[in-house]
Amino acid sequence: MNNGKILAGLDAGHVNTKAVLMRGGEILGYGTEPTGFDPVAAAEGALKNALKTAGVAGSELAGMVATGIFRDMTKGAPLNVTMTVPDYVADAKGALFFNKNSRTVIDIGGNIHKAVHYDQNGNLLDVIQNDKCADGLGIFYTTMAKALGVSEQELSELALQSTKHVSVAIHCAASAESEAIDLMCQGVDVADVADAISRFMVERVAAMCTTMPLEKEVVVAGGLAKSKALIKHLSGLLKQDVSVLNLPEYAGAIGAVMSDREL
Amino acid sequence: MAYAVKAWNDFKNYQSTCYRNYLFASGGLRAMGSTWSVLAPLKGLGDDVHLIGGEPHAASTAGTFPDESREDISAAETAGLGFHSCSYLKLFTGEVIRDKIAITDKTIKEGYPKPDLIWTTHLCSQHSKWYQEVSRRLGGVPMYPIDMIGGGNAEKDPKIVNYVSDQIEEGIRWLKRVTGREFSDELFSRAARNEIKVLVLWGNICALNRHAPAPLDERRLIALFPPAVVDRTTDEAVKLYETLLQEVRHMVETGQSVVPDQRYRIVYFGIAHTYGHPEMARILRDAGAEIVASVYTFGTCGNFRGIVNGKWSWDPLDPAWVDGLDLSTRRKTITELVKIALGWPTWQGVRSYWALEQMARAMVTEYKADGLLLAPSRSCETDFRNGYVGMQRIFKSEIPTIEYDSDQVDVRKMDLPGAQRKTELFVHLMEAHRRRSA
Amino acid sequence: MMNKSADTIIERFRSITEDPQGYAQSLKGKGKRLAGYMCTHVPEEILYAAGMIPVRILSSHVSQAMTRSYMHETYCSFSHDCAYQGLARHYDFLDLIVTSSSCIHMGEAFNVWVRFAGFQEKGFLIPYPHIIETKPAATFMVESFGEFKRFLEKSMKKSITDEDIEGAIQVYNHTRRLLKRLWEFLRRENPPITGPEVATVTLASQMMDKQECNSMIEQLIQRVEAEPGKGPSGVRLMVTGGACDDLGMFDLIEHLNDKASLIFIDSCTATRYFWFEVPEDRRDKLQAIAEGYISRIPCPAKDNVPGTGEKKRFRFIQQFIEEYKPDGVVFLYQRFCSPQPMDVVALKPILEKLGIPSIDLELDTTLPITQFRTQLEALVEIIKGVIP
Repeated sequence: MNNGKILAGLDAGHVNTKAVLMRGGEILGYGTEPTGFDPVAAAEGALKNALKTAGVAGSELAGMVATGIFRDMTKGAPLNVTMTVPDYVADAKGALFFNKNSRTVIDIGGNIHKAVHYDQNGNLLDVIQNDKCADGLGIFYTTMAKALGVSEQELSELALQSTKHVSVAIHCAASAESEAIDLMCQGVDVADVADAISRFMVERVAAMCTTMPLEKEVVVAGGLAKSKALIKHLSGLLKQDVSVLNLPEYAGAIGAVMSDREL
Repeated sequence: MAYAVKAWNDFKNYQSTCYRNYLFASGGLRAMGSTWSVLAPLKGLGDDVHLIGGEPHAASTAGTFPDESREDISAAETAGLGFHSCSYLKLFTGEVIRDKIAITDKTIKEGYPKPDLIWTTHLCSQHSKWYQEVSRRLGGVPMYPIDMIGGGNAEKDPKIVNYVSDQIEEGIRWLKRVTGREFSDELFSRAARNEIKVLVLWGNICALNRHAPAPLDERRLIALFPPAVVDRTTDEAVKLYETLLQEVRHMVETGQSVVPDQRYRIVYFGIAHTYGHPEMARILRDAGAEIVASVYTFGTCGNFRGIVNGKWSWDPLDPAWVDGLDLSTRRKTITELVKIALGWPTWQGVRSYWALEQMARAMVTEYKADGLLLAPSRSCETDFRNGYVGMQRIFKSEIPTIEYDSDQVDVRKMDLPGAQRKTELFVHLMEAHRRRSA
Repeated sequence: MMNKSADTIIERFRSITEDPQGYAQSLKGKGKRLAGYMCTHVPEEILYAAGMIPVRILSSHVSQAMTRSYMHETYCSFSHDCAYQGLARHYDFLDLIVTSSSCIHMGEAFNVWVRFAGFQEKGFLIPYPHIIETKPAATFMVESFGEFKRFLEKSMKKSITDEDIEGAIQVYNHTRRLLKRLWEFLRRENPPITGPEVATVTLASQMMDKQECNSMIEQLIQRVEAEPGKGPSGVRLMVTGGACDDLGMFDLIEHLNDKASLIFIDSCTATRYFWFEVPEDRRDKLQAIAEGYISRIPCPAKDNVPGTGEKKRFRFIQQFIEEYKPDGVVFLYQRFCSPQPMDVVALKPILEKLGIPSIDLELDTTLPITQFRTQLEALVEIIKGVIP
């Protein structure tokens, strides 16, 4: 990578689109925009936010790399993304950027969650990704927070206050949501319901992770990594320490930039 | 340049003719049932027995008439068949409910031809119950389900061979009672020899894919095995597969393939999923990755050496061996048929996880695989759904392995975006693995 | 009001269902050899004759996803939970895990124990007919049971005699008769014991030492026989379906807004477990066991009479309807079960002809109490609207 050139990384995800600006190894700015039904507009919005926080003009960008489920839609005008990389490639590079000792990153996204195993250079060794029934964990978490009338942060804090173990159906988010509401109808304490929701999510992620050896250090990316309740349960279920990356929701966007060897 | 299989049209015509005979025959007997059972006993009733098999018919209808298929499945669900039930079952039963049948030559016929009898097995916990439901809806059709038991080495276990043979022997007596026809042991043994020969020939054709480049791809394999599942008891079926074997041998000798660009060889464990399979194939093809071996296409109607000294072998059997089989009595004929059917990879793997694992291991080795692609079907009860979950766990550290959800004929259950993502990931993993090994 | 002693006995049964591992470990502590079994087609008599106590592996009702990377998502929760018991090492102390060829989901739960949970050397699969009514089934079963017997003799290092087997047959038949007598109380308009209580005893019996179990049931029946009824039955509800070991489900049925009484359960965790007998005093003991097991109420996964395609289980259901006179039927089966819904779709028209309303409830690891309550209360209201 050329020093001095400002590069942008985009992670066009299911729920949120994230953008970062970097020069050399330094993060200049970052921004997020809900993806909604227009990934291109969301990418433009996220980039605009990132440019603003960095105090950089769009014309100063030397290039842009995109990742995420909607990355292909960002090619062409108006963004003119120069390169795209798959999300698991970006995750590995992004995780390594924040933690040179990491070798496995678990990314819990809005719709998809995965574990990526990589070497010291961020080269792909193996990936495991969720099956259909386990889709939508992030979206589910957001929905449940709304159903409980709290923010996602508050949902995590509530979960940490749980005193009684209750369970929701594990097959899929739809049945879990249905049972969470059923529990509330039964008068179960909202903290316990919050904890059941958190455990449901982590159970799905952890089950997937056991298919592949998790080489240390294991780090967690994605916006949901900011939930202390989720991380507590994840570490417990995997029976090993996991650490949360700085700016976990931007790991993909940063990794996209780090994947670019040409610019 | 990609090779075009010369025998293609003959195979398609044979399949269509079988279905047309079932639909439009003005005389004879109509027999419905599972192609996982032995078919030759039915042919002992005469040379005017017309067959329709649940799974192949559902698969081919879904491929030919996606819209009709959706209607059939919806009709079955509306009639009370569970959402989670086998989608082959729902499509097949849905046709009965709608009283409308569609076949591969693009014929759609109003009025479902009622079978005279049903002859089936019980491959999964639901299998023969599917035919119970069809029988009930058609006003009660006599049916005979055979318990094949299955499992690894089943064909070598006298207890199992006798159990299944006893049922078939009883079944033949039942066929006579129900149809009022005499049973011809001559016709039966001829049909049995043909049935065994076709299964052995198909095994030989599949085994040729061990060469590089593999002469056939999964798409062609799926299209070329239907005669063996629809009706493998005829002289014509034998001729088809003998001709095909010669043709594929020639392809190998001359280094030809239907897909010459084969940079990655893939072993595929999954059912033929009608919707989405072309999408996955395109992603793979762009990377020069081809499925050269598949348990479904190989094992549904093909025989191989099987378990030898505890390990599975995909070596084919010698077709000449079939000519020497002693089928001089009814019981001997039944016994040889039973052993062949029990030797099918499907019957072995569906009841023994260890046999399935052995098959996968052998396939990866013998076919020199660069990757293992697993596609469990959400509608299937058997190892075609479940076995591959465990297999991913076992093989993932040994060879690039990816598993995606599929469904045999229900497009709603097919996770197309997820499957595409995972297929792309699979290509990346194979490429990364190759780079590391270089 | 039932006297304290009967309540105490029922409470003891319930405590066993709530901590089956604890109970099994207590047997181990007394020096017993234990064999876990996953399907009721396992011929327990042979295990018992070998000096082992068969204990059924049932679910823990813990929501967990661990098994999803071992078994497909869309296998039933019951099978997932049973697989989980092995992976979580809850039963490492067992001397053996056994199953008979069963439905595929439970077969896979067994495979998980053997492949991934350390039971490779102490697992046995008994080949068992997948269609129980074939004519040659008995011969096959006898041979298969013979192989199982020889396996047990080798691992237990003792011979299993005909006397041992006859003794076991008689113990198990006694259990079956006692359980049948308990269920027969529910035929009464004013029974001295409730359906959930009988279900509790039946469930516990599947994981108990049968000597202890028989003694407890005998005492219970003695107490109960002397008791007056607990009050007139409410709307009489019969449950039919698959494995349900969540007793909360049955408690729910009897705690609706309108009084309803659970009067029969046709499932393998209830009456299908014991509603048969093995012929006694036969020369060929294994043949006797085979005959007895063939005569059971068929599991839907194995029920297809060759020749006619009849579901033999329906004959039993019609008999139970005549004897127990339900006002309504609850189809209760695991979500993702394949054979059960195939029976439901054929049974519903029969119930309609008999004028008996029904509902379907799909089971999962956890019970959505509020939703189920709503549906059950709707059924009761329909029944009350239909019958004066």
